[in-house]
Amino acid sequence: MKSKKNSVGLFFVGLLIFLIFMFPLYWMIVTALKTQTEIFEIPTPLWPRDLTLEPFQEQLSASGDTLRGFKNSLIIALGATAISTVLSIPASYGLARFRFKVKKPLILFFLITQMLPSTLVLTSLYIMFSRLHLLNTYMAPILADATLGIPFSIIILRTYFISIPKELDEAAKIDGCSHLQSFVKVMLPIARPGIIVAAVFSFVYAWGDLIYGITFITDPTMRPITSSIYNYVQQYQTLWNSTMAFGIVAIMPVVLIFIFMQKYIVSGLTNGAVKA
Amino acid sequence: MKKTSKRKSGTFLGITFALPAVIYMLIFIGYPMIQNILLAFKNVDVYTFSKPDQQQFIGLQNYIELFTGQNSILSKSIVNTLIFTIGSIFFQFIIGFALALLFNKKFRGASFFRGAAMISWLLPVTVAGLLFKFMFASTGGIVNQFLSQLHLIDQNVNWLLEPGPAMVASIVANIWIGIPFNMMLLTTGLTTIPEEIYESCSLDGANWFQKLFQITIPMIKPAIMSVLTLGFVYTFKVFDLVWVMTKGGPVNATELVSTYAYRLSFEEFQFSKGAAAANILFLILLVVGCFYIKLINDEEEVM
Repeated sequence: MKSKKNSVGLFFVGLLIFLIFMFPLYWMIVTALKTQTEIFEIPTPLWPRDLTLEPFQEQLSASGDTLRGFKNSLIIALGATAISTVLSIPASYGLARFRFKVKKPLILFFLITQMLPSTLVLTSLYIMFSRLHLLNTYMAPILADATLGIPFSIIILRTYFISIPKELDEAAKIDGCSHLQSFVKVMLPIARPGIIVAAVFSFVYAWGDLIYGITFITDPTMRPITSSIYNYVQQYQTLWNSTMAFGIVAIMPVVLIFIFMQKYIVSGLTNGAVKA
Repeated sequence: MKKTSKRKSGTFLGITFALPAVIYMLIFIGYPMIQNILLAFKNVDVYTFSKPDQQQFIGLQNYIELFTGQNSILSKSIVNTLIFTIGSIFFQFIIGFALALLFNKKFRGASFFRGAAMISWLLPVTVAGLLFKFMFASTGGIVNQFLSQLHLIDQNVNWLLEPGPAMVASIVANIWIGIPFNMMLLTTGLTTIPEEIYESCSLDGANWFQKLFQITIPMIKPAIMSVLTLGFVYTFKVFDLVWVMTKGGPVNATELVSTYAYRLSFEEFQFSKGAAAANILFLILLVVGCFYIKLINDEEEVM
């Protein structure tokens, strides 16, 4: 009896914390649906009275930066995810399955690269890409963003491959599979959930990048969406409803990923960061 | 004999599988890092950038100027970064830990609430930064409205236009982003504590505080240590949040080492000096990173 009462109390405490924590997101949506006058009313209403979809219409119109930025980000993030996933899968398998001397230093190497600040490599990458004539192409942020996903993916996937029983490998070898065949035919299908987690994180990292995007791409038509919203705010300082509508478009892919793949993401975060 | 050949083939296969990723990271992280160290000893700026014949090694001059130059704000940016990092981690950790304890109890909605909170960690930081910039706006900002409705302030605070408040606003935004990270990792730690330990302690008459400090915290110490060190590393290198919210201002009050390095390289085009500032950031992180690596090495002897 007492524990049931307790549980109801806990539910309300949990709900209250949830609502406070989610308030910034609620505020973003509400602001995007308000008129500018309503935003600057004192006090500003906590929900829109004159509901308007104008900011969204404006942002989604063909002439705007929003959709173009969205498309650019999609290309860049998918490109970075492809590189990161293709390289991480074999690497994590190698670091999970085989015993060899330099294994530990290699794992540490990836761990360390995950901790490096982007500013450390930014200037040199800029000079390198400028010599290779890659500035103002999608390739520059794709190549740089992939480095954000690779270490994390390897760390997650390695724990995944370790958790797959070795006997499966050996059974495949007895059946006459080579190392490569058993990797492709046996390991990859079993590791699929892990691969999805790795790909999702690589995508989220690349989608969220700002520093590589603003540095390597100055052509407004090529900018990723984080860079275009940043530039939009510099230009239209206080046009908050439009900015928030822009922001909602910019977070959409991440929110969708979050809704449909929450389980994967939680397991990825905890595996990737704690176990290393 | 057979054993050595097996080990040899293991070495060969392991390295072969890992090699493409290693090479990629060496090209796009390793090589630029070494270049960055060299660049910091040179005099590359907007004038010499496209004239390699005029680029010279000038020794430690960039570092000396960063630390002693009249216009240099390096020392200030290091102090700012420390304030930002410690302020963020302190609250992220306490709130994250409290929420981990709360949502670890079994009640309806617990895992939903915990899971949903993850969203703030996944959002592009640029958008989160703009959202908080808006909420902390002097006019039309909801923070000022709430505070004055609660009679905590009589007139609007210029959050992002005054030095102290700007730092507070940046830290608050960063706390919001970082809470889920702390909460999830500590939750994982909590699930490893067997229920029986608490039960036997309840029989001994231990109260909530005693259980927390005598069982929970000692048992999840490894998780706590890795949350704190990782949190330090990730917070110390934050760039985008502050760049979007305050751009290091007002009057350099929120200038971090990362934003200062970026400003030197890409706003003032003093590439070598920017590289030197980034190297200093790296050096500080290296010390903390080594600590973290020692931590997981001690823990995971079976690799």
